[in-house]
Amino acid sequence: MNKGRLLAAALVIATVVFIVIGTVKPIPSAAAYAGGQNLLPSSSTPEEAVRNLGDEISVRDWGKAYASLANKTQFSEDEFEHDLTGYYPSLRTDATLNSFEVRPLHATENDAEMRLTLHWATVLGIYDSTRDLHVIRAGDRWEPEWPLYKRPAVPPQVIPVNYLRWDVIYPGPGDDWGVQGVEAPHVRIVDMRPVQRAEGVVILGELLNDDVVPAYVSVTATLQSKTGKALATEDSFDKISHVLLPKQVTPFLIDFPDATLSSVGSIRMTPFSTLVPASADPVIEIDNAHLNPAPNASLSGQLINESGQIVNVAHVLGTFYDKSGQVVWIADEYTDRALLPQTPEAFLIHIPEDLARRVSSQRTVVASFEYGGVL
Amino acid sequence: MLKPESSVESQRPIPMSFILLAAVVVHLPLLLMKLPLKSYDANFHIFFASHYLHHWFDPWNTKWYAGFSQATYPPLPQQWVAVLSNVFGLDMAYMAVQFAAILLLVVGVYRFSRLWVSPRSASIAALASVFLGSESFLVYSAGQLGTTFAAPIYLNGLPFLFDWVRHGKGRSFLKATALFAAAAAAHHATLLFGSFFFALPVLALALLDRENGERISTASFVARTVAITVVVGAAIAVVLLPFWIALIHYPVTQTPIPHPSRANYILSPQWGLNYFVVPYGALILALPFIFMRGSMVARLRPLLFGFWLAFLIGLGGTTPVGRVLLGRAFEVLTFERFSYWATLLALPFVGLLGSELVARYRTKAVVGLTALAAATCGLAVSWSTYHPADADQGLTVEPIAAWLNRDGHDQYRYVTLGFGNQIARLAVKTDASSVDGEWYSGRMLPELTRNGGGALTSSKYFGEGGLDALRAILMHANYYGLKWVLVRDPSYNPLLAFAGWRPVDYLEDKTITVWSKDGVPPATPLNAPQIPPQWQGVMWGIFPFGSSILAILVILIPEKRRQEAREEYPIEAGDLAPGRLAS
Repeated sequence: MNKGRLLAAALVIATVVFIVIGTVKPIPSAAAYAGGQNLLPSSSTPEEAVRNLGDEISVRDWGKAYASLANKTQFSEDEFEHDLTGYYPSLRTDATLNSFEVRPLHATENDAEMRLTLHWATVLGIYDSTRDLHVIRAGDRWEPEWPLYKRPAVPPQVIPVNYLRWDVIYPGPGDDWGVQGVEAPHVRIVDMRPVQRAEGVVILGELLNDDVVPAYVSVTATLQSKTGKALATEDSFDKISHVLLPKQVTPFLIDFPDATLSSVGSIRMTPFSTLVPASADPVIEIDNAHLNPAPNASLSGQLINESGQIVNVAHVLGTFYDKSGQVVWIADEYTDRALLPQTPEAFLIHIPEDLARRVSSQRTVVASFEYGGVL
Repeated sequence: MLKPESSVESQRPIPMSFILLAAVVVHLPLLLMKLPLKSYDANFHIFFASHYLHHWFDPWNTKWYAGFSQATYPPLPQQWVAVLSNVFGLDMAYMAVQFAAILLLVVGVYRFSRLWVSPRSASIAALASVFLGSESFLVYSAGQLGTTFAAPIYLNGLPFLFDWVRHGKGRSFLKATALFAAAAAAHHATLLFGSFFFALPVLALALLDRENGERISTASFVARTVAITVVVGAAIAVVLLPFWIALIHYPVTQTPIPHPSRANYILSPQWGLNYFVVPYGALILALPFIFMRGSMVARLRPLLFGFWLAFLIGLGGTTPVGRVLLGRAFEVLTFERFSYWATLLALPFVGLLGSELVARYRTKAVVGLTALAAATCGLAVSWSTYHPADADQGLTVEPIAAWLNRDGHDQYRYVTLGFGNQIARLAVKTDASSVDGEWYSGRMLPELTRNGGGALTSSKYFGEGGLDALRAILMHANYYGLKWVLVRDPSYNPLLAFAGWRPVDYLEDKTITVWSKDGVPPATPLNAPQIPPQWQGVMWGIFPFGSSILAILVILIPEKRRQEAREEYPIEAGDLAPGRLAS
């Protein structure tokens, strides 16, 4: 073989070797697009089988994920997909799988229990969903069984509607919302306290709609130095229930990342309110609310949609008090599944371990969102 | 040893006028149809051009990111669009500049190929450039005006580099310098990477090439190479000085944004189709020939190495080569342009292959090659339809811009959700300022740079990083005077509703909802340290555009005709029999 042919062979072989390396052991950015998989995914262990399933879910390859299941004859591919993305529009619908973890719980020669924790990214932040999978050996490979969440069957029923509703007549449809030329509803901060946390300063408080009309509310806080200079301004963003019916109270939490309380001389609180149309519907009841002590302190319970319409997203805000009735902490959670009429949906709000001991009571409020007809 | 005249090489080249006419026939109708407007980046370039149109000497653009410097991106093609828009309007001016780039590519490929192969092969290479899949992909799907404008200028400059280094011709030195400076003013990355992929092979050729049996002396080679490197480096430093200042003061350190050109094209075949099959097209069939002929002919080896390197890096995450060679830059760069450069480097081989096939098989070869070229070009052009940048092409931004421009709405900033790459088009039409944008290297807002998302309007497609960026910017709505969120994708509605935004209006038959936040103060200009001082604005308005004018003037200086000592053919005696194809 002459030099030229040798060079050609060397270049071609090198190219093939580079491609093989890049495919068998892809670089992180390439692996991310392939759902973490390499060319020949192996299912020779229970963990590998569940990991492959997680990879397929992450790239929304429902067909391949469904095909890998041992119990696929028990439900359709559509049911499997809707179990993960929701049967009705909800946070699950547009969620993307950010990452996942697989943890073995128990294993024998022919079957195993594995815990799959999926971290989903949604417009309202990350939510986790955990499934315990039974994995069985099928020859030289393992196949997971998917514990399907069945679509709740809502029985036919008549639900009387007798809720309160407040309408507001605007000058015109294109007019700037909030510029109404009417007095803003009276709102009042009934509690407020700053707390130093590892991440920065947090301001906790409660806001009361003192008026006889509904109000859209928000709270802005400005940290001022001891000389009166403004250090930072933040608002309650989504850590508040923005629409308050007359005499309703909402907790609020305002985050100041990286701030230190020792450098703060004073805090200027600015509540904002304006008149908005509102209704008491949908009514969402909180059932079986229970404070779970540390470790893993939390508030758990169930939400029951008492109305006849589907609530696509519910926001649960928990306020935690000490024995003297002072606010100790405020935490929240969004439901990842739609709330169907009369169908309980569990919620779980975590409480920081260092504060859990001081919590003696709680109050929970729920805000809701439905797609369509927003204006 | 070089082979004497052969029957293959004795054939006459295809006339340049015919090749240019082919480029006109293929591309002019597509450009008159404004097909590039469907691409990813065309509207981005038009947006930049619209700023130059109104603020030629002020690169600070307040319409994106609450203010950013356009001196972070080489301006030449956009400035040409701005100039021509006075006659054609912005859209057609873009098409005119792109068309000029396509014609320049034909000439550039011919001139570059002539360094390596015979006139006939070079002419076939030039004709192939008209149908090149990667060119059509970048023009009609990617909309990379900067890359497709800079590459032809660079290719046209390379023969002058060869002439200067090989023969020491002063005029060539001047022309090469002017063209390289203009190419850098069009796209800095082309010059940077082009130095490795294109210039080094040309320098190697100048060193290895024999004329009358003699090589250039090493001392002359080194002196001339150093001289032109220093002068071109200095010229580029001056022409793009505000760019370098911005880059040094504000290096791109933001969280990398995912891009599918970094995927493994085998594990993610859909991206392999997009970034390999479409740009290469029938050129894939020529790969064995390129490797064989490039290896067997000593004179072609530098070109082969340039091609091979660009080819490997252009494969993105399919191999670890790009990651190893580029380091962190791998996570910032996109790799379709490397494939583009690889295909340009492959064209001399394609010309050689074409001329040999035609010499041997005549009409059959012509028919076959024409069919393959047409299929390659057709696939790449139509790819913008099969795989559009924006799946929903139904959005018209004019009514939205009109809403933003009326009743003082433009006193506040806005952001769109679900508008895809139409945000650049909207920015051209409206007077209002946005906190979003599509030029990621120019953005300085910490809410955007510390998260790994791209444009806010497409936040959800960037997963946690994109959604975190959106949440962060909405949290600071009051600070930025961000009052309006124009929503075309209702999946964002829960965030807005729970974060205290309220729907206030509908647009476009209720397909777009305007959300507003109450209590937001009017937007005020950000006193950003990134605002270029006035002298930089003047430089930015004069030097890059001036470099292109200078290049045009210098090119007009007539060349002294050099008597060709002989024709050189890249076929080594003993390796190949006359008329026989390499296998």
